[in-house]
Amino acid sequence: MSLRLEKVVKAFGNPPVEIIKGISFELKDGEFVSLTGKSGSGKSTLLYMMSTLDNPTSGRVFLQDQDITAMGSRELHRFRNRHMGFIFQYHYLLPEFTALENVLIPAIKAGNVAEKRPYAIELLESFDLKDRMHSVPGKLSGGESQRVAIARALIMNPQYIFADEPTGSLDSANAQNVMSIFQKINREHGCTIVYVTHDTEFAALAQKQIFLVDGQVSKMEKKSKTARRSPKTPGERENLPG
Amino acid sequence: MIFIALRQLWARKRQTVLTLLGVMLGAAAYIIISGILLGFRDYLLDQMVNNDAHVRISAKARLIEANSFDHVFAGKKEALFWIVPPSGRRDNERIDNVQEWLGRLREDKDVEAFAPQLNVTVIYRKGKVARNGRILGVVPELQARVALFEKYILHGTLRELAENGQKILMGEGLRENLGIRYGDSVTVVNSKGDQQQFKISGSFQTGNRAIDDNLAYVALTTAQNISGNPGQISDIAVRLRDVRQSLPKAQLWSNDDSAKVQSWEQINSSILDVFQVQDMTRYMLTAIILIVAGFGIYNILSIVINQKKREIAILRSVGYESRDVLVIFMTQGMLLGVAGGLLGVVAGYLISLQLSTITFSSPMIKSKSTGMMISFTYIIYVFGFLMALISTTIASFLPAVKAGKLSPIDIIRGQE
Repeated sequence: MSLRLEKVVKAFGNPPVEIIKGISFELKDGEFVSLTGKSGSGKSTLLYMMSTLDNPTSGRVFLQDQDITAMGSRELHRFRNRHMGFIFQYHYLLPEFTALENVLIPAIKAGNVAEKRPYAIELLESFDLKDRMHSVPGKLSGGESQRVAIARALIMNPQYIFADEPTGSLDSANAQNVMSIFQKINREHGCTIVYVTHDTEFAALAQKQIFLVDGQVSKMEKKSKTARRSPKTPGERENLPG
Repeated sequence: MIFIALRQLWARKRQTVLTLLGVMLGAAAYIIISGILLGFRDYLLDQMVNNDAHVRISAKARLIEANSFDHVFAGKKEALFWIVPPSGRRDNERIDNVQEWLGRLREDKDVEAFAPQLNVTVIYRKGKVARNGRILGVVPELQARVALFEKYILHGTLRELAENGQKILMGEGLRENLGIRYGDSVTVVNSKGDQQQFKISGSFQTGNRAIDDNLAYVALTTAQNISGNPGQISDIAVRLRDVRQSLPKAQLWSNDDSAKVQSWEQINSSILDVFQVQDMTRYMLTAIILIVAGFGIYNILSIVINQKKREIAILRSVGYESRDVLVIFMTQGMLLGVAGGLLGVVAGYLISLQLSTITFSSPMIKSKSTGMMISFTYIIYVFGFLMALISTTIASFLPAVKAGKLSPIDIIRGQE
């Protein structure tokens, strides 16, 4: 069981310009992975292809030994619903629904809302959102909204969580909180987490760091779980350029 | 999906209510306009069908032409050349073989009733006032079974005419023009100049001035006396058991060349043509109203979809298929269609009900005032509802398809 990329290429425009230039690597189940690189290095594009949201121009992506580039649309949507969670820089909560209902949105699609409801409440409680459960996103702060979005990503107990700059729009305290949640999820749920970040400190929290330069993996660092540190205070962190 | 659709509709109450009002007004307008037009049509059809005969058998005007006497004055092999060709028409207007027709009608199982009539052109005179007009001789019991005439009688009865005595039931306009009261006498002069005195036993008013200012009813035998031709009959009014058989029956009877046979549709064909124009106007008006309502939905859904791209992206990324997004937005449009259609049906019914209580009392007509004729046939309501539903379905389909086609990754990248 793994996430494997084989010579993945992504090109845009006409004439085509390659943003991702033949990347291959494999992630084991339960890994905590950061994707870093300068702006335009292709890290978000790579994340979207790994997470089935985008198709590679060439090459193949395997999830649990299934070639997702060859999967039918219905199968792919079902797979995404049951086995993947997404977190973006902006929370993208549905404004008409309460925090609890937003968490249950994937369960509405899967048709198991009643079954997932206690778990949704449990998740929100564990994220310090017990009192905000029935509030609509308009009444939540940025940090609270992002925590609701994380709960939404976790509701189906996914094997994979993909996050695109999840701390990008948060202040340092909230950003730190989000990263702590990620670590906890990875530790307790054992799901694979891949996140894109500009922040070196947050990138360093990962078990495996993938550095992208001009659409190619320039460096891949792996460290033992014991070497992983807790996030420092905001003043101790510095941002990567770009 | 319906939960999501409902919640989104509920979240933008003002837009929802306005759109709902648009659809409701469209459906209600269709129902009211159709109710008025069809009600008026039903009224006219009722007049055509019930105030006269379903099928009218009348004397055929037989014209004399150049070849009419070909075999009268010369043998079959001889040709006649006229210096002045003969012209004119034969005899009075009368049905020749009356007994044969009456026998035939009596045996026909489709015939409910029939009434022989005689139409005579006369001059009415009272003192120095003279008016030309017509007299219709009828057999009162038979006439009453063929046409619902008695509701137009203001004074007196049709049956009185059958009694002995020179009684006449006169059109109200004619009576007023001659300046006579009930019980007064009037002189009737026929085309030969023979005069007879009649006593006004009553009057009627149909609302049609061509009839009210010209016509008077007498007993058939009396009319035959006036015309000087005992036994003469100019028309036979026939009522069928099934009014829908009028045209085929008239066409069948037309094979007999001895008389002119026309159904009520043929007699009133020009009015029936007007109904088609009315129908077209009605459908066009309604189409315009519903297109406007449909555009309302189209615009609002397009704007909403544009505003909700990011939410569509997240739905797609958590496993909602393109079809699910389509269903969410289609449901919103169709719910507006169903709710607007139902409200329109109720509003249309209530307004029609209110309109039907409005009474008109025309100064031209003395008879009881009549309410506005509004049709409440269920077809109008079914159609009104369906038109609302179909227009909103089409209007929401296009933006919903567009929403379904949005790619989550393009929205997230900000290319959509």
